Amino acid sequence: MNVKYINPFITATQNVFQEFVGISLTPGKPSIYMPQEDANKFDVSGIIGLAGEVVGVVVISLPKIPALKVTSKLVGKEVKIFDDFVTDAVGEIVNIIAGNVKKDMEEFKIVISLPSIVKGNGHTLSWISGVPVIKIPFASEYGDFFVFVSLKDILGI
Amino acid sequence: MNILIVDDSRIIRNVVKNVLEEIGISNENIFDAPDGNAALEIIDNNSIDMLLVDWNMPNLNGLDLVRILRGRDSYKKTPIIMITSEAARYNIMEAIKAGVTDYVVKPVAGVVLKKKLSPFLK
Repeated sequence: MNVKYINPFITATQNVFQEFVGISLTPGKPSIYMPQEDANKFDVSGIIGLAGEVVGVVVISLPKIPALKVTSKLVGKEVKIFDDFVTDAVGEIVNIIAGNVKKDMEEFKIVISLPSIVKGNGHTLSWISGVPVIKIPFASEYGDFFVFVSLKDILGI
Repeated sequence: MNILIVDDSRIIRNVVKNVLEEIGISNENIFDAPDGNAALEIIDNNSIDMLLVDWNMPNLNGLDLVRILRGRDSYKKTPIIMITSEAARYNIMEAIKAGVTDYVVKPVAGVVLKKKLSPFLK
């Protein structure tokens, strides 16, 4: 795995949670993702497509509790249900991650899409066949969650 | 002084609004819009003295909004600060070329935003 292209996603995720949400993250070891391993674990995912001289996607997937806690912190009041604020919060977080990563990967002239949000208890995501997906776990005081990075041809896998 | 916040994230609009209120801008002088088209409607019906604009938004994005406004005589010199996640240098150059007055990369701390805004509030 070419960590050169994974580290920017780790740094950007830590940065957005520190500066925007106000909590520290502890990143775990990135690994090749096997979709069946995390079935039914996630309740909301924020997705940004990456285009340019590299093609791929970055996804943040959270279980219900950390998603609601993060949203509550950003909104400034307790959010108890999966409303538009959760969509907004998760979308903005993945947007900032993708935008910040561009600084460390300028050679690819990445263009980022608007975020898409998938909500649903225990939802799963389907990935493009033949393009590796790297799973990056993060631990926080609000609970654990994951960032997934899938980049065609450059991850060295 | 009327300030228009343009961002598709309601959370970001609220965060920026809170910062503006903390530095003394009255709530009645703060306008907000979720995209460039909605911003143009507000601009056409109000006198706006400064804009804080996101880049990536649906319908009409922030960069195109800046280009449209800089093409209008009445908005050629209006301070427009872009507040965006787009952190690449070529993005910053593109925004400057389009006519932004200043550029702030998200995530931005309130204290940093206040510092960026202060020269335009005097």
